[in-house]
Amino acid sequence: MANHLTLAVAGSRKTQGLIEHCAALAPTRRVLVVTFTQRNQHELSERLAKSIGLQTNVEVMGWYTLLIRHFARPFLPFVFPGRRVQGFDYDGLPNRFATNEERFFNPAGALYAAELGKLANLLVEQSQGALLYRLESLYDEILVDEAQDLSGWDWELLEKLFASRIDIRMVGDIRQSVLSTSPRSRKNKQYAYAKALAWFQTKQRRGELEIEYRNTTWRCSPGIARFSDTIFNPAWGFPETESLNEVTTDHDGVFLLANRNVLAYVERFRPQCLRVNVKSGTAFDLNYINFKVAKGATYERVLIIATGPISTFLQRGKSLDPGPAATFYVAVTRAQQSVAIVLDRPGQSLIPYWEQ
Amino acid sequence: MITKIKVKGYRIHRDFELEPNPRINLLVGGNDAGKSSLMEAIALAMTGRIGGRPAAEELNPYWFNTAVVSEFLDSLLIGEAVWPTIEIELFLQNRPDLQALCGVHNSAIPAQACPGVVFRVIPNPEYDAELQAWTENPSILLPVEYYKIEWRHFGDSELTRRPRDLSIAIIDSRTIRTFGGVDYHLRQILNDHLEPSEKALISLEYRQAKSSMSDGALAALNQRLGQVEASLDQQPLKVAMDQTSRTSWDSAVAPHIDNVPFSMAGQGQQATIKISLAMGRHADRTNVVMIEEPENHLSHTSMVILLNRIERLAGEEQQLFISTHSTYVLNRLGLDSLMLINRDAVTTITGLTPETVGYYKKLPGYDTLRMALADRLVLVEGPSDEIIFERIFHDRYQMTPMACGIDVLSMRSLSLARCLELCARLGKRVAVLRDNDGQDPAALRESLEDWLDGEHRELFIGDVDHGHTLEPQLIHHNGEAALRDILGIRADARVDVWMTREKTEAAIRIAESRQRIVAPAYMAAAAAFIHG
Repeated sequence: MANHLTLAVAGSRKTQGLIEHCAALAPTRRVLVVTFTQRNQHELSERLAKSIGLQTNVEVMGWYTLLIRHFARPFLPFVFPGRRVQGFDYDGLPNRFATNEERFFNPAGALYAAELGKLANLLVEQSQGALLYRLESLYDEILVDEAQDLSGWDWELLEKLFASRIDIRMVGDIRQSVLSTSPRSRKNKQYAYAKALAWFQTKQRRGELEIEYRNTTWRCSPGIARFSDTIFNPAWGFPETESLNEVTTDHDGVFLLANRNVLAYVERFRPQCLRVNVKSGTAFDLNYINFKVAKGATYERVLIIATGPISTFLQRGKSLDPGPAATFYVAVTRAQQSVAIVLDRPGQSLIPYWEQ
Repeated sequence: MITKIKVKGYRIHRDFELEPNPRINLLVGGNDAGKSSLMEAIALAMTGRIGGRPAAEELNPYWFNTAVVSEFLDSLLIGEAVWPTIEIELFLQNRPDLQALCGVHNSAIPAQACPGVVFRVIPNPEYDAELQAWTENPSILLPVEYYKIEWRHFGDSELTRRPRDLSIAIIDSRTIRTFGGVDYHLRQILNDHLEPSEKALISLEYRQAKSSMSDGALAALNQRLGQVEASLDQQPLKVAMDQTSRTSWDSAVAPHIDNVPFSMAGQGQQATIKISLAMGRHADRTNVVMIEEPENHLSHTSMVILLNRIERLAGEEQQLFISTHSTYVLNRLGLDSLMLINRDAVTTITGLTPETVGYYKKLPGYDTLRMALADRLVLVEGPSDEIIFERIFHDRYQMTPMACGIDVLSMRSLSLARCLELCARLGKRVAVLRDNDGQDPAALRESLEDWLDGEHRELFIGDVDHGHTLEPQLIHHNGEAALRDILGIRADARVDVWMTREKTEAAIRIAESRQRIVAPAYMAAAAAFIHG
């Protein structure tokens, strides 16, 4: 077992690093690449196919698929004798006080996504080694992309995998923890978001994990990189981002944008417009993408509709909570050259306004 | 490889369970004992196919166990009835390379995680109404149209084709299916000899060869055809070699032996080649080899060659299932691998000493199979003892021993101790008769004492005073005059000399005689013992 974690900033070619790692491996080495979003999974598969061809030794699957296919499906009877996996309920949640079967199965017999991590942990324990032996026999390495998105019982599961013969290799950016695989789980709540870092560091001290930091971005221009660092409370102690993007255009950096100039700006620069969710930015009929959905994507320019907390952060310098900070960070770091934030009153912000 | 086989409701097997040997399994049994059904069942669960064809296409009412079906029909009359199903379960060794098939979805109690596959034929819930309707007017032939096949591994995922990690070679020399003499199994075997890259290369070259035919030899024909107004709207007509997958290379190649195509070779030759091809593959690729009656179509000499080859090729990682009716095969491949199948019952030999296994390997002509198949046994020294015993038995019980399930076997000069050891391991009831040859019966008994228990196995020896061998014993019990008459020999001939010289002829004449025969005491005792 050799377990690695690369903590990297947005745009530091994390995914590219994974692909290069796969390409450099011997074809006999069986590798599983785990991702968290459909989009990411699709993109990874395509990029892998391009760089290493259709080799059968590298398999890409989502985290939930992994838990269903290699944990729940084969071993469910260890916890629930006679039961089979007959469906997957992504959105549903069990009653807060549900126990036993009702905790894990919805009334139609499908497994709750939210409780899958807990179930997987139970199965590892109940199988008395059979589950991990099977997994060890199937894979030599498991690569986890976007490791910051693990949550709750997933951490517990990771700990078990660290101790297995499988090499675990993770890449992630704590600053980007926007998705949670277990939205309501209280287990390991202390690790959520930025505190994940502390958890990883504990593992490192115990010699279970090696951590490597990558603070250079190939994507964001220096101005964007500098601004992205300011989003987080300095008390969290993130290292400074260094930009390797040396491209210059006639419009580089971070700008504020008054509502009246939005349409002209879009006309002129054709940015990708980002919003926090469907209720935001309704004043304009723009081709929006939600922050979380944009994760992993790269655009030359983005336009961001400021939310309440983002406005407060910009106008009064009040730190964002970890969650909103992460989503805002994701949005900002999608851009290579320019970021425009729609905000009418600057408050104490020193960011320049774009004018026609 | 396969560690446990469970067959429920398939053909003759109602509830069958077997833990096979890791290497060689010799399946023996009478006709209709279920050897072939067992091999079929294994193939079904491992490949989802039967006789090379997908199971779903071959499913028919005769797959179901008749006893289960008639019980179902009976219970239909009463009301609550459970539809008959078929379930074949193969538990596999818990090896790393088989872990893709690992899981807890099996019938083991308590729950056990191991690799395995399960093949089921169950009523299709989508046809619930139709099934219900059928019960209004049921028959012994189940409506298999409303059944479905479910093939899964123990990890609870559906299987659609043979899992990559399971490889099986099936050699059935009884019926050679024709497909240019190359049946599905043989094509499979040939395919397994090739690396994927080699296969691709062959396929490509074959296409190119066909394509060059189209451009070359066929060009002149196409020129002429082009002139013909054949199609509706005047598009030119031409012929080209068929490049569809129907005509792929593997259906166009056939093995040749000494330049004779496989299908033209003798059946024995075909079977031998298949076996060698199947077993000669990389040991890590063919996990299970099943051979049905390898002795078929083979002369004795060829069979000896084949068996030597099987023994040599059997790799550490290969598990062999061989069904046979040949004692020679059984002895040669090792009696300790014997699995005596009788419907749902399996008898295996455990504890047979390696020396005894080796003893029969050196004497492969000896009919151990008869010993294995018989219900009860009488072991005698030679043919004349056999004939006389049968007559005496018939006199007492008005039935032949065979009709009572008793097989009388001449041991010739085989070691009694070895025979008794085998019988003891097989759990057979056996009476042994032997001449005293002038020695004290108690002394003769001593060396066999270990195997005799007076209940299942007993030794019967005539009094020394009554004669050293069978003939003097007969004279002693019947008197010279009577025997002379029974045998129909001249008055001046000496009965003892004549009988000793013409042993078999004397025995036959006694057996056919209409006169009363007094049985030698030890023989009568043996008959009584074995008849029970």
